[in-house]
Amino acid sequence: MAEEIKEELQEEDTQKGKFMTFQTGKEYFGISISYVNEIIVMQPITAIPEVEDYIKGLINLRGKIIPVIDVRTRFKMEPIEYTDRTCIIVINVKSTVIGLIVEKIAEVDTILDEDIVPPPTLGHKENEQNKYVYGLARTGNTVKLLIDPEKLIKDEDMEVIEEMQEEEQE
Amino acid sequence: MAEEFSTDGMLDMFLYESGQLLEKLEGIILEKKDEECFDDADINEIFRIMHTIKGSSGIMMYENITKVSHKLEDVFYYLRESHPDNVPHLELVEKVLIVSDFITGELDKIKDGNEADGSETAILEDLDEFLNRIKGEIKEQGIRLPKENKHEEPSQFYIAPVASEDSHFYQITIHYRNDTQMSNLRAYSATYALKEIAENLLYTPEDIITNEESAEVILAEGFHMLLQTKSSKEDVIKLIDSSEAEKIDFEEITAAEYGKGLTEIAQEEAPIIINLDDDKPEVKEEKKAPMPGDYVVKAKETGKGKTLAKNQPKQQSIISVNVEKMDALMDLIGEIVIAEAVVLQNPDLKVPGLELSNFYKASAQLSKITTELQEVIMSMRMMPLTNVFQKMKRIVFDVSRKLGKDIELEVIGENTEVDKNIIEHISDPLMHLVRNSVDHGIEENVEDRTALGKPEKGKITLEAKNEGGKVYISVKDDGKGLKKEKLYEKAKNNGLIGNKEITDFTDKEIYRFITLPGFSTKEVITEYSGRGVGMDVVVKNIQSIGGRLEIDSKEGFGSEMTLVIPLTLAIINGIVVQVGQSSFVIETASIKEFVRLSEDAIVKEPNGEEYIVLRGECYPFIRLNERYQLPDSQGKVDNGIVVVLEHEGQQVCILIDRLIQEQEIVVKPIPSYVKKVKGLSGCTQLGDGSIALILDIAGLIQGEERG
Repeated sequence: MAEEIKEELQEEDTQKGKFMTFQTGKEYFGISISYVNEIIVMQPITAIPEVEDYIKGLINLRGKIIPVIDVRTRFKMEPIEYTDRTCIIVINVKSTVIGLIVEKIAEVDTILDEDIVPPPTLGHKENEQNKYVYGLARTGNTVKLLIDPEKLIKDEDMEVIEEMQEEEQE
Repeated sequence: MAEEFSTDGMLDMFLYESGQLLEKLEGIILEKKDEECFDDADINEIFRIMHTIKGSSGIMMYENITKVSHKLEDVFYYLRESHPDNVPHLELVEKVLIVSDFITGELDKIKDGNEADGSETAILEDLDEFLNRIKGEIKEQGIRLPKENKHEEPSQFYIAPVASEDSHFYQITIHYRNDTQMSNLRAYSATYALKEIAENLLYTPEDIITNEESAEVILAEGFHMLLQTKSSKEDVIKLIDSSEAEKIDFEEITAAEYGKGLTEIAQEEAPIIINLDDDKPEVKEEKKAPMPGDYVVKAKETGKGKTLAKNQPKQQSIISVNVEKMDALMDLIGEIVIAEAVVLQNPDLKVPGLELSNFYKASAQLSKITTELQEVIMSMRMMPLTNVFQKMKRIVFDVSRKLGKDIELEVIGENTEVDKNIIEHISDPLMHLVRNSVDHGIEENVEDRTALGKPEKGKITLEAKNEGGKVYISVKDDGKGLKKEKLYEKAKNNGLIGNKEITDFTDKEIYRFITLPGFSTKEVITEYSGRGVGMDVVVKNIQSIGGRLEIDSKEGFGSEMTLVIPLTLAIINGIVVQVGQSSFVIETASIKEFVRLSEDAIVKEPNGEEYIVLRGECYPFIRLNERYQLPDSQGKVDNGIVVVLEHEGQQVCILIDRLIQEQEIVVKPIPSYVKKVKGLSGCTQLGDGSIALILDIAGLIQGEERG
């Protein structure tokens, strides 16, 4: 409840309609700025064995250890080499702090509600990322895919696996 | 409520203070339980504790606590004043414990945010009866009764002052010790106590509750009161809580002076006298070294004065700090250590040709300080086991009395220090073990003991010691000991061990049966133990903090249960190792040895599982690089190092590439977002800010068994 109220409040204020946009490949993505804690440069990552391929590992954020995930791998796109421009967006989703590795930060954009259209619902099975994209927005010359971070960090497949494991243990 | 002010901060203070006082009370009681009676110092101390609790609970409006503590205070007042010599000591001990339990229970309710709604009537009646009994016995002997320490219950409503003919007028100034905390509240409690008897009461500073700064004023200038009352001077003095007072100036004044009000009188220097007609010489009023023209009643009894002086440094050298703040400090220090490493190992320093000797001198100093800082914060979290052990004393006392067994408890090493988190976790398991020893361990019939040549009195030894980074807490009794055959049969009948023969098990394995869920050898379930849900819970609790339970026994001569627990949860001693690009930490305690082997020592099964034969023993073998698909590791036994690990008697060997160093590791959990990986128990930051994963030996072994 408290979180919902807080989110509502945040949406009321100046953060309303502001989106952090980043580029991956040719496509632009947007994530509501209320989720974003900070942006840091690429850090040395400690890999964790036996986890999903998109979880790249752990980083040390000033004494706090947080997991980082690669957005490209998450969207089942070809992985790319990390460069100087590669950044980590630290987001906080319902008190889970996670780093998103993105190719390039673009800018902070204001996108009004009326400019957001839901993604086409035509059953493109191969278009996996639709799961995490809740809307499309056209600003300037580009179309931005707006990501729902809660869906992004939650993986239905993973939950199923976990449940199976738990049952197994019992 | 008659008084309306926020009690939030006060409530914490009240709970803390009362808790401390009750602990002290139990300490005194248990220490003296085997003696003939309490001595004067104890009686005074108990009286003072009850008085303080009465006062503070009165302020906090916990009426049942106030009443009960008041009643016990009455009892001890009586003991103090008339020194009856035929008090049934054990009964008195029991009464005090009942009261202390009652108050502790109520305080717990308050702590949990509930109403303190326990009924005090039964206890009050009980104490009344007891008090009358000891009084009655004395009456028969014709000894003069002292005046009863009677005053009305604190009224919930302020009664408007009524002037009357035979009123006395007093000017009272309380000077608190300079280091007294919350003197304004103490002053308030004095006024509160006086309201009971006051016809009129004025005091300055007036805003003692609402204005915290008034505390400083009170400390500097003293707390002035003008009191109109019918009560005698002694009664008034008694009501004022003198526990933190340095001195109390007490002066009878005329109605005319009283009329002038406080401000004027307060300015008049040098209080004149009291010590009026004192008909009770036994009231010990210690006079301060008299200053010329200045007689001061020091409102402390001689005996109490001494105890206070003894305890004073102890009280003042401890402050209570919120645990959250401590944790925040600890995190910060952790970050300092990392930041330090980042600075000192900064790549910029590696530029050739830099003159850095001063830098290194300064940085050596910095390292020294940060190390010390870390040690200090760790030691701050350490607490002695004294309180836990005191609880055990109480349990032995209670249970042995209820069961009619004569048992002596010996306590060794109660000052051993353990991390606060751990103390919270071991209290319950330890309680269980102690209860078991009293209930199951010590024989019911004394004849059974004497037949074996043991003394009639049973003995339980509670010992704590710190050895090699672990704390050993053992509960030893000289009772029956465990009967192997009985344990075996019971386990078999309960279907816990299948059809194995008794010879299949070692002694220790058989003793371990008692830790299996659903196992209890006690035929009759008593109030204290025997339901068989105990020992497995004990073991679980201990394992959850990384400890273990060791059981040893000799039939007929007793058993010994030892809890082996880590000193602290947050820091372990670990060895950093490297496999490929990844760093891992292995807890030093679980490492048996490092060996260099050649590929010949490996036995490979057709299904891919590998074993190592080392000095005739066969161990399962895990190549970490294969297990976790780590790149860049050569994974050759010839070049790497084999580490033999042990966990609860099971061994496993792992292959690593390189040893880095041994160091203290601050354990951090792997973020919950990442699913649990078998064989990893957490992670930590190394000196250079990078992260290493902590290997969980139990998980590795389990994984191996499954695989």
